[in-house]
Amino acid sequence: MSEHAFHPLVKQLLDGDITLADLPAELRAEGEEAVRLLAGVDRRPVELPAVSRRVMREIASRPARSAWRRVMQPREIRLRVRPWLLAPALAIAAALILWIGHAAPVTQASFVTVRFVLVAPEAREVSLAGTFNQWDAHATPLVRTSPNGVWTATLTLPAGQHQYAFVVDGARWVPDPGAPAVDDGFGRRNSVLTL
Amino acid sequence: MRSETGAADGDIVRAVLAGDHERYALLVERYRDRYARYAARMLGSPDAAEDAVQDAFVRAYDQLAQCKDPDKFVGWFFLILRNRCFAERRRSRTETSLEAADEVAATDRTEGGTETAERRRALQLALLELTPDQREVFVLKHVEGLSYGEIAERLSTSVPSLKMRMHRAYDKLREQLRDHT
Repeated sequence: MSEHAFHPLVKQLLDGDITLADLPAELRAEGEEAVRLLAGVDRRPVELPAVSRRVMREIASRPARSAWRRVMQPREIRLRVRPWLLAPALAIAAALILWIGHAAPVTQASFVTVRFVLVAPEAREVSLAGTFNQWDAHATPLVRTSPNGVWTATLTLPAGQHQYAFVVDGARWVPDPGAPAVDDGFGRRNSVLTL
Repeated sequence: MRSETGAADGDIVRAVLAGDHERYALLVERYRDRYARYAARMLGSPDAAEDAVQDAFVRAYDQLAQCKDPDKFVGWFFLILRNRCFAERRRSRTETSLEAADEVAATDRTEGGTETAERRRALQLALLELTPDQREVFVLKHVEGLSYGEIAERLSTSVPSLKMRMHRAYDKLREQLRDHT
């Protein structure tokens, strides 16, 4: 045991398990030393009123930067739809999100126009459900814009983070496997879009 | 029905994820000062604590979609702040020690009690000589007043390992404070 080590009983005192009076006489001085150590503990509250403003100001600058990253790096995503749910066979779908806002500086934008594109040749109908439409599977239908099965919808959404999924034929919820996803708490995955 | 300021953490997190960024301010207001003292004692200075708490809130916002259980936002946020405090101490271990302790002493002088001020200053300096793990268990138990069981739950560890860490911290503090106690 090092010369600086407190006796195990004094450590119990420091832990609050026993009191000074419980210590044998020969440990009393060491116990008083431990009590003086704890007397230096500073429990006064600390207040940081400026933090709220600084955090919210920092956050306010976030969505615009995310939007730029989206614009500069468009992605193509392949989706696999299970054949027993979307007959007759495997469908390949791709979602491409395009930013088509006008020339206003992105840093001033509080809304961003996005176009969702899904290639689903076998689908009879496709819609978009998400946090922006209260997950209503009928609120935002995509329109079939080509014979090859390209479905599109253009939405203007507030800058920030949204969760969404495609709904194929009113029954099959398809997340975007190329985008960040979160568990929706009911065993499904939601795609996350940051604008 | 809950008032706006009394809304559950989980409801606020879900609203922010749905695009209502302004409501994040409610979470910042709610937990800002509650964790300020932890950060201040871990880092040794209110200024460093302010930076750490701010960074942790911004980081939590950026990663909010990864908060698996929005109803347990505060536990998740604490771990982000903790990582930030540990990283900060690795970066500037020696730079802030004296400055930090002087800051504590200066505050104390304005409140009277030079003996108390000196004890606080000495202990804060000694705390900064501990490993972050040792310092953290001391701060959570003796500054924040948590029991070993509560600390173990918060840090996902066991009570015996926390006690071992703490008892080493006691010995190290005794060595550091030999001339002060």
